[in-house]
Amino acid sequence: MNAFALLFLVAGLGLIGWLTARARANRFDRGGARRLHSLPGQHGMYVAMWTVLPALLFVAVWSAVSPGLVKEAVLQHPAAAQLPQFDFERDALLAEARRVANEDGAAAFDPVAQQLAAPTRDAQARYRWMGTAAAILLAFAGAAFALTRVRASFKARSRVERGTMLLLLVASLIAILTTLGIFLSLLWESLRFFQQVPITDFLFGTHWSPQVIDAGDPGKSLGAVPLFWGTFFIGAIIAMIVAIPFGLMSAIYLTQYAAPSVRKWMKPILEMLAGVPTVVYGYFAALTVAPAVRDLAVSLGYTYASSESALAAGLVMGVMIIPFVSSMADDSIAAVPTAMRDGSLAMGATTSETISRVLIPAALPGVVAGVLLAVSRAIGETMIVVMAASGAANITLNPFESATTVTKQIVDLLTGESEFDSPKTLAAFALGLTLFVITLLLNIVALRVVKKYREAYE
Amino acid sequence: MSKSLLPQLPTGPAEPTERAPTDWTTVAMQKRIRRRYARERRFRFFGLAAVTLSAAFLAFLLITMVANGWRGFTRTDVALPIDFPASGIVVERAQLATRGADLALAGAGLENMVKSAAATAFGPGGEEVLSEHAWLRVRDAIKADPSILDRKITIDLPASTEIDQALGGKGTAAAEAAAAKLQQAGVLSRRFNADFLHESDSTDPVAVGIWGALKGSLLTMAVTFLIAFPVGVLSAIYLEEYAPKNRWTDLIEVSINNLAAVPSIIFGLLGLAVFLGSWSLFGYQFGPLLPRSAALVGGLTLALMIMPVIVIASRNAIKAVPPSIRDAALGIGASPIQVVFHHVLPLAMPGILTGTIIGMARALGETAPLLLIGMRAFIVTPPGGFTDPATVLPVQIFLWSDEVSRGFIEKTSAAIIVLLVFLLAMNGLAIYLRNKFETRW
Repeated sequence: MNAFALLFLVAGLGLIGWLTARARANRFDRGGARRLHSLPGQHGMYVAMWTVLPALLFVAVWSAVSPGLVKEAVLQHPAAAQLPQFDFERDALLAEARRVANEDGAAAFDPVAQQLAAPTRDAQARYRWMGTAAAILLAFAGAAFALTRVRASFKARSRVERGTMLLLLVASLIAILTTLGIFLSLLWESLRFFQQVPITDFLFGTHWSPQVIDAGDPGKSLGAVPLFWGTFFIGAIIAMIVAIPFGLMSAIYLTQYAAPSVRKWMKPILEMLAGVPTVVYGYFAALTVAPAVRDLAVSLGYTYASSESALAAGLVMGVMIIPFVSSMADDSIAAVPTAMRDGSLAMGATTSETISRVLIPAALPGVVAGVLLAVSRAIGETMIVVMAASGAANITLNPFESATTVTKQIVDLLTGESEFDSPKTLAAFALGLTLFVITLLLNIVALRVVKKYREAYE
Repeated sequence: MSKSLLPQLPTGPAEPTERAPTDWTTVAMQKRIRRRYARERRFRFFGLAAVTLSAAFLAFLLITMVANGWRGFTRTDVALPIDFPASGIVVERAQLATRGADLALAGAGLENMVKSAAATAFGPGGEEVLSEHAWLRVRDAIKADPSILDRKITIDLPASTEIDQALGGKGTAAAEAAAAKLQQAGVLSRRFNADFLHESDSTDPVAVGIWGALKGSLLTMAVTFLIAFPVGVLSAIYLEEYAPKNRWTDLIEVSINNLAAVPSIIFGLLGLAVFLGSWSLFGYQFGPLLPRSAALVGGLTLALMIMPVIVIASRNAIKAVPPSIRDAALGIGASPIQVVFHHVLPLAMPGILTGTIIGMARALGETAPLLLIGMRAFIVTPPGGFTDPATVLPVQIFLWSDEVSRGFIEKTSAAIIVLLVFLLAMNGLAIYLRNKFETRW
């Protein structure tokens, strides 16, 4: 809560600075015959910026640096001499001391950590106090500096606008930072994984059973091929068998046949399918669809049908994807020039002949791109498979058998109680990296196809 | 269309072609036409079937949820006669007005007293009829009106999960028999369960509520909005209005478009590695930056996830503002910043807000990234702040769906109904805003 109080304090100082500067600028206005270059409010903004921004920047830097300073201070304590020299164990003990210091009523298992709790608390309090004082001092210094510059001839407006521009640039850089952050964090953890498990074992191994990992040869039970196959089978085959015909035919019917009033009502209803949270689909799949699929399998003669079949998850996922395929198909059919459609109709073709021989071939690149995007969405879908698919990694072509996916395994690997550095948790990051790269490639290809196709008709 | 696609018109006098006109009345031609029309009707029917089946699936899903879930909003009460003076329960009256009332009543053996009252009223094993938490209701009744300690009263207490399920036709044979006996005695009643809306998670399906998860969702959404909205709108303004066309801005564009399509679970991995992992910088070891399973971490993760959605929607809204507005403002001497913040942004705001609400609705229904960053703990007390352990509505649904007890099925569906109502309200608001403020320039 201390950080929040500090933020409020700095914001309050900024407000005071704004009011003061505005009042001063107002006096200039009334007193002299010279005209102000900028409006009083702009002078206020200038001072407020100088008050708030340096202080906030300092707080950000300080909160990144101070844990290290606290650690140095704690290591100076006599009791720290008993700490093991080995980095990893020492950090674990220090983390324990930190936990004891910050939580009421927590106790440490290790006596050294217990001894270090008090110095940790002291050091934290000291550095927090120093940081707070320095931030407030900076806020005052910034305000004072800016206030001395408020003069009738001072160009506050252009300064403020330059600052605003910088803010806009920083905001748009966050997207790049996020992408970089995703890529680097996945890559970093995956590299650690590949130090323990050979990359060839992971990519081409056909045996996946992370529950029992042989410490001598962890790669033997971490072969991801069954996961890749399961993901492809559920997301790219079963789901698409549902989504492509339904999505495409809905789009065709709504754009070519339906009366405007029907289209006006049905389109939002179909889009609602995309708005239902995936956890609801997952629950529906597990509760209603999966038992029905199992009954169907039993009646077809599979005595040991799984109640967590690939078919149940794939079917529901396909339904979820319908509006996605439908709206992409809708867009690309609408982009076909009307002249082509009219020409075909004028030659005496029926509407269905026009659609299947003229519109669809012309719109095909767009439809294919839409399907690629839909596949990328389906293989990244998590909750449906977590709730309805099984954890058993099989390579099978039988939709009534169980199959597992990459996303399901990521959740399973990370929600168990295990250390952050074990091959098990690191494997989740390697799977995540694979998923990220594949969806990225699908998207890039799809966007390129769409772009090229759009140019063809413009 | 380029010129070359136009049909070549004959330049000289056309050669007369010797070809008889098609005779449409022949049997073969009539058959062919019939076949083509039949195919047309079939095609049209397939289209209609696709639309209808998709809508039917949605209807089926909603009906299943409502059919399963409506009972979750109600509970079965058992009218239990309690004779306080005879029960031998001793409580200081003065204590009941103080903060120690809960402790005093628990210490006085209220729980056992309620159980034995049930055993006397409904025969041996009678305490099985009541929920484990039934005595808490008696405690609250005494606190509200201490004078009942002097009389014999009949009080409605929540029935156990077994009885509740048996009444819905889903219980065991023994429970069905017990429920039938109670029904004959006329002590059972069903009523709206307000506790479901202001209690939190529990191990007993009769006593669970969604308030804790709902509050967690609200806190998470607040963090998400406070970060994603300003950052998203500001970067949209920069990209649309000021960005020079160069390699850097292209890179920003490409990363925003790709981020919009990255699977949500990847953002969970990012949150786990960056906010909750430990890493070293300049030789300093950093512990987890933020507390695990807090609304703050969840909100940050979701903010990164929906930011591209907001950026793309905002850019489209800004693009839709006609250039004449900008030219007019520039013409009377506004600076580029003033043009955007005084004129373009207010006009684009309805579009921006619509996109933001749709993005927020997506964040509200999102589960997978929050599972990864640990917002799946069993949390009994609603979070008090942004750094308290919290769970959110979709994760609560996921956790309940994993429970074995049958009583959780209807609670899960009831929670889903609540979630869907929120999402529907948000989407409705977005559509309303779009229709009300949509401007045709």
